[in-house]
Amino acid sequence: MKTVNYAITDPVGLHARPAGIFVKKAAAYKSTITIKNAETGKTADAKRIMGVMSLGVKQGNRIELSIEGEDEAVAAQELEVFLKENL
Amino acid sequence: MGFLDGVFKKKEVEIGSPAAGKCVSIKNVPDPTFSEEILGKGTAIEPSDGKFYAPADGTISTLFPTLHAIGITTADGVELLIHVGLDTVNLKGAHFTAHVEEGKKVSKGDLLLEADLKAIAEAGYNTITPVLICNSADFKEVVPGEEREVAAGDGVLKVKL
Repeated sequence: MKTVNYAITDPVGLHARPAGIFVKKAAAYKSTITIKNAETGKTADAKRIMGVMSLGVKQGNRIELSIEGEDEAVAAQELEVFLKENL
Repeated sequence: MGFLDGVFKKKEVEIGSPAAGKCVSIKNVPDPTFSEEILGKGTAIEPSDGKFYAPADGTISTLFPTLHAIGITTADGVELLIHVGLDTVNLKGAHFTAHVEEGKKVSKGDLLLEADLKAIAEAGYNTITPVLICNSADFKEVVPGEEREVAAGDGVLKVKL
């Protein structure tokens, strides 16, 4: 299993567009990807929009991705880059 | 599994309009997050009244702290998002009043939230309200209703299971 930690800098947090683009990216991998809002401990399937939005991740909140599967290494690396560039 | 499944199993779920107003194509929403269906397939309502009701029976799966968007999961697993207005996240809850909380079971027609449409428009925001199926990919098809004037509860989307 690989993990990625990141603090969200997008001013609206993981809402609407940010959540949508993140889920689309996560859904492209075969691995199981779980996202946790480190502030609340709440977790969700990173490939489901409603789940991701329901975490209520705000700007400054830390998220933790747990990635498990055959492409976990590449998924972790690419998702980390994606988060830094977009969120 | 057998032929009886086809006879007794519900084949589609109808989603009602959350508010009175005009039902328009999601393609007409001037925000690519919605018009490009990044958050799922759906439709949009130009509300004429600020009272928003449950479009189907279900459970409130998310109510954003800013009260401008609400997610409902139906018994059939349809994940619905009602997003009142565009960019209204920036209002930080102003002009919105919630009548439900997360985890609450609701029946179609229950009052969910009230929005002061006039104040929101005066603050410079478009009040067009996308109604989306976030997990569109889990279903055979999501069919938007005809563009027309609607009352709250009138069918605006059909989800084929």
